Amino acid sequence: MTLTQDAPVRTDAITVEGVSRSFGSVKAVEDATLTVPRGHVTALIGPNGCGKTTLMLMLSGLLRPDAGEIAIAGHDPRTDAAAVRAEIGWMPDQLGSWDNLTCLQTLTLMGEAYRIPRATARARGMALLHRVHLEEFADRPARVLSRGQKQRLSLARALVHDPAVLLLDEPANGLDPRSRVELRDLVREFAAEGRAVLVSSHVLAELDEMVDDAVFMSKGRTMGEHAAAMVADARLKYRVDALDPAALQEALSRGGVEFEPTATGAITRIADEANAAQALAWLIRQGVQVHRFGPAGSALEQTYMAMNEERR
Amino acid sequence: MTTDTLHEHPAGADVPVDPPARKGNPWLPSFHGVGLMTRIELRRRRPSTKGYVLYGILFAIVIAICLAAAIFTPPQLSSTNFEIVLIMVLGVGMLIAPSLSATSINGDSGEGVLAPLQMSHLTAGDIAMGKLLASWTVSVFALVALSPFLIYTFLSSGWTVVEMLTTIGAILLVVLAFTAVGLAWSSIAARAVASVALAHLTTGFFLIGTLIAFGVSTLLFTEEATQRDRYIDWETLAPEAEEALNEAYMTGDFSALDPDDYQCVESEWAYTIAHTEHVAWILLTNPAVMITETAPIVDPETWEEDGRAAPGLFANIHSMVSDARLGPDDELDDYIAYDECAQLFQEAEASEMSEEELEAMWAEDENRWIERQQELANLERAPWLGLSVAGVLLVGSMWIVIRRLRVPYKKLRTGTRVA
Repeated sequence: MTLTQDAPVRTDAITVEGVSRSFGSVKAVEDATLTVPRGHVTALIGPNGCGKTTLMLMLSGLLRPDAGEIAIAGHDPRTDAAAVRAEIGWMPDQLGSWDNLTCLQTLTLMGEAYRIPRATARARGMALLHRVHLEEFADRPARVLSRGQKQRLSLARALVHDPAVLLLDEPANGLDPRSRVELRDLVREFAAEGRAVLVSSHVLAELDEMVDDAVFMSKGRTMGEHAAAMVADARLKYRVDALDPAALQEALSRGGVEFEPTATGAITRIADEANAAQALAWLIRQGVQVHRFGPAGSALEQTYMAMNEERR
Repeated sequence: MTTDTLHEHPAGADVPVDPPARKGNPWLPSFHGVGLMTRIELRRRRPSTKGYVLYGILFAIVIAICLAAAIFTPPQLSSTNFEIVLIMVLGVGMLIAPSLSATSINGDSGEGVLAPLQMSHLTAGDIAMGKLLASWTVSVFALVALSPFLIYTFLSSGWTVVEMLTTIGAILLVVLAFTAVGLAWSSIAARAVASVALAHLTTGFFLIGTLIAFGVSTLLFTEEATQRDRYIDWETLAPEAEEALNEAYMTGDFSALDPDDYQCVESEWAYTIAHTEHVAWILLTNPAVMITETAPIVDPETWEEDGRAAPGLFANIHSMVSDARLGPDDELDDYIAYDECAQLFQEAEASEMSEEELEAMWAEDENRWIERQQELANLERAPWLGLSVAGVLLVGSMWIVIRRLRVPYKKLRTGTRVA
């Protein structure tokens, strides 16, 4: 997990160092530091109003940071906004669409706005509509789209110029379960294509399977090593439930295994899958009647809940 | 992008794109960008069915007025009907184009479609100019829609083609300037209601406010002039003398009156002369006045020989404006002192003026008046101040708009989010 790095490496698509921004007296982002390497998906997690969107706006070059350094593929959004725009695909949290235009027209015009020749922009627009499964809406006006469909159009729009960096602000909002799974696969594909993806979301269970790293934000600060350690720790946690919880806990105590007792069994830490298989075999040899054995839920969710710093 | 995605997505085979690399943080408009932005705006703001109905009703009213103007065209040359059509073009343009532009930026920002454009290679200048041209084009459509009437009334207006094009150009410039003002308000105000109101207030200020400002500021440049009149002091009259005077006024025969019975008193009263020449420039900043000032000069005496129509609406406005520019005419405006005593008792002298002499005097007065009218009508046209005002509004507004559209934002409109 790479939450902070002292020396920015060339493969890092996004590097953010001590960035802050306030609106009047409100400090939206106080101290944000993170890096996203190429080919990685990084989650940006935090409660509402913790500064995620503000940070994304600064990354995209729409908002000027008061202090700190940002580099997108090596370019500074303050001085070289045009180069940053060429590298970044941004899917805003606010759904905006040109209601009178068809989906294909929208993508074609956006492509042209990136100075892509019209015919190419149109072909790419069609390809992107296929990719987000909106091809049957290609010639229908955007106003007929449902919320989730608009969300997917917005995702396609972020991709018209083949950006190396993708900023997805709440991409799973309003998506049905099937679309969420598709989104997860798409995001993994984007990373496989070598793009750096920074994704913010509230659906933490969804993120668990989607992301390589996670950056937690609270009150405008990124949580850094502490949160990284907590996620790493949460990933080790296994929940073991037995028919007789007392017998399970006794066996664990006898074996000198650290655990947290629960009503139905125990939560313990296991380093990797091989160890987990051994541990299960050991428990059964001890005569414990295990009926449930597995990772203890979403690591991100556990960390998020554990941090518990600010609640609204 | 790697090529293996081609195999992964046979249905949506990836189309590689290679947008040109760009550097820095450009803001200047470019042909490609402005053209594209105008296209986007015109397409997405295509009116809905309700919008077409509304525009239809508006145009029906305008066309009815133009039709009336066309039907009541007298057989001889007349420029007034043509001028009414020009005013319609101006009015429609001034109402529609700023309304559209005044919701263009804050509306887009509220709908969340502005930021994605700012994220593209369109510069602040592209977006600003594109939006300006798109709103303005609507008023050009109004001009095109009214062009049959424009041409029909032009044919009997006595104007030349160049004169028509000049005035239409001035109208389009004024509409462009106030469209830019609307756009500037929409980049400043967070809510569309506020920016539309402010845009129309600005238009109203220049169209009506300048007239009021002119009227009020003339009061600052008034000269007090005094006039001395003489009349009979009725209060000191003996009853018989009063009766005799009443009698004389009834009959018109004053010969029986004895001057000694009547005492004359002098009375001084003050009146004001407005020196409008000091404040006439306020009138010239008015865009409607500016447009009439671009119209051809029509001499009230020689228009027939000149192949003109009789002085119409614009020519009369030009004369009124010229009157304000020149200020009071001492010779014409001089009051002739009233002297009741002299009238009563020196009747004999007055009547000595022969018929010819009287006529000569009247003719001289009339000539002086005609000369003044000719001077006013032929006074050099003064659209330059109005044109400069339009130019300053246009450039200043666009400067504000481009500044407000440039990203990264340092400040945000209060009460808004970026995206």
